[in-house]
Amino acid sequence: MSAHLIAFFTLREALRRRVVLAAALLTLGYLVLYGVGVWFGYRDLQETQDGPPGLTEGVVSLMLVGGLWSLNFIASVLAVFLSVGALSGEVDQGTLHAIAARPVRRGEIVLGKFVGFTLMLAVFIGVSASLMILIVAVITGEIVGGSWAGPFLMLLAAMLLIGLALAGSSRLSPLPNGVIVFTLYATALIGGVIEQIGDVLESAVMFNIGVFSSVLVPTRAMWDMASAQLATGGFAGELSAGPFGASNPPSGWMLLIAFLHLALTLGFALRAFERRDF
Amino acid sequence: MSQSAAIYLSGVSKRYGDTLAVDDVCLSVAHGEVFGFLGPNGAGKSTLVEMILGLTHPTAGDIEVLGQPVGSLAARAEVGYLPETFRFHDWLTAFELLHFHARLARVPADARTERVPELLELVGLKDRASDRISTFSKGMMQRVGLAQALVGEPRLVILDEPTSALDPIGRRDVRDRIRELGEQGVTVFLNSHLLSEVEQVCDRVAIIDHGSIVAEGKLDDLLNAQEIELRAGEGAEAAARETLGEGGVRQVNGRLRVRVANDDETARLIRRMVEAGVPVYDVRQVGDSLEDLFVRVAERGDV
Ligand SMILES: Nc1ncnc2c1ncn2[C@@H]1O[C@H](COP(=O)(O)OP(=O)(O)OP(=O)(O)O)[C@@H](O)[C@H]1O
Ligand SMILES: [Mg+2]
Repeated sequence: MSAHLIAFFTLREALRRRVVLAAALLTLGYLVLYGVGVWFGYRDLQETQDGPPGLTEGVVSLMLVGGLWSLNFIASVLAVFLSVGALSGEVDQGTLHAIAARPVRRGEIVLGKFVGFTLMLAVFIGVSASLMILIVAVITGEIVGGSWAGPFLMLLAAMLLIGLALAGSSRLSPLPNGVIVFTLYATALIGGVIEQIGDVLESAVMFNIGVFSSVLVPTRAMWDMASAQLATGGFAGELSAGPFGASNPPSGWMLLIAFLHLALTLGFALRAFERRDF
Repeated sequence: MSQSAAIYLSGVSKRYGDTLAVDDVCLSVAHGEVFGFLGPNGAGKSTLVEMILGLTHPTAGDIEVLGQPVGSLAARAEVGYLPETFRFHDWLTAFELLHFHARLARVPADARTERVPELLELVGLKDRASDRISTFSKGMMQRVGLAQALVGEPRLVILDEPTSALDPIGRRDVRDRIRELGEQGVTVFLNSHLLSEVEQVCDRVAIIDHGSIVAEGKLDDLLNAQEIELRAGEGAEAAARETLGEGGVRQVNGRLRVRVANDDETARLIRRMVEAGVPVYDVRQVGDSLEDLFVRVAERGDV
């Protein structure tokens, strides 16, 4: 078995690539800005004396969920950028020839890359989300962030995109693959918005379009579940509906659909790459 | 038959859309043989090699490598391969690349630490071992690629144009390396269109054109069929065709070139011409080089 060799190789490559360095620096800059924003926001909040009970905790929680939403977005973009040319791109460049001629199964190459990118994203989400929770805790003295399930759901969203990009990359060259994956990702985002509007307007058609888009690409649904886990206090749950989450988070079925989705995309990537000519 | 061969191909074809890149190739390379595979650009050499390595799937036919069906992991563990493009992950250093490939080739850890510096020295990259491949020149990349091909102590080495980017000294080094491998009993499959290279190292060659093998055999045998060049009067060509058949007769620069199997045939041809009243002014043997053979075979375009 050589899948672990490919996984560590992929992780090492990702760490040395400029795209990751750029993402890390941008995220660091973003965290600094975010800290400044939280600091001012929290100061203004303390001057408001006449809010309902739980207002402070609710608003702090909302600030955190909003911040994590941005991290989720960066993680998604990073996941796509890393994996969009992982198979076809390398075959076309010729960098995979010598490796694929070794006693390594094609499937091990696909799985190794999947695991490598997932580890990379786990590090990214783990470190940046922890830093963000820490920033909020230091500034406000409130430990918010809800359950650990939140970051895991964020990672699951990134894994869905990696699976999708690898499936495409087994056949398509990086550019068309990137266009398709981002289009699907955007469809899921818009679908979420349509679903919410449909919910408010009580339009079954719009609602169903939204649900369909979530089944097609469950990334947005994963974030909706994540934000429900991350928000603390019933009040924050209400507030964070809107741009950062759904008013009623998806049911547990969505999780099952997400795992099915992952199994399907990876299964397709394995089969298609197995049959591919170099 | 197939058990004793390092590479065994039977009826192998590969079609890309409308192009038949490889057309019904049957070939057998014995253990320990240094085999040269020649052909013009686009003849199908790289496609064939990629099929032998299991990188490309044949449209038809059977392939066995080291007695195993193509693509088997056990066989691959004993094969070293230098791809035609010699592109590697250039964020690695030469040292890291060799270590990575040694691990993939299942070389044990202590053997790795010994073998990697040895190979870097062998290909003249000892001083650049810890530089990233992205800083290498093309020739240096091909050198590190050769080291990569040898890192698993393979029983079969497949080199797809291993000297295309090398300077004359690098080429000589590679030739010496190939000879050494041959002496050690390693089977070498060398794709090339550098004829002198093949001439100097290979025991046996095959020439492929438009996907089909058009000549195959021991180099001596292939080159032994001779050609004679005649300066003669009217009617010489007809006499030659009459005596030796249509196949080996052609005009080159106003002279007649005729392929003969041996000296007897030469004598017979001249006697026939004299009998027919054709004046013969000059006859000389034209030494056939591999280049002549290659050009002749490739220009003919068919078998
Ligand atoms: N991936 C591919 N898709 C379509 N056609 C291909 C592909 N790879 C090779 N071919 C075609 O197959 C034929 C053989 O190509 P191949 O690369 O095997 O030639 P070659 O003998 O290695 O040539 P060269 O000396 O230039 O390296 C060519 O006509 C080429 O256009
Ligand atoms: Mg070639």
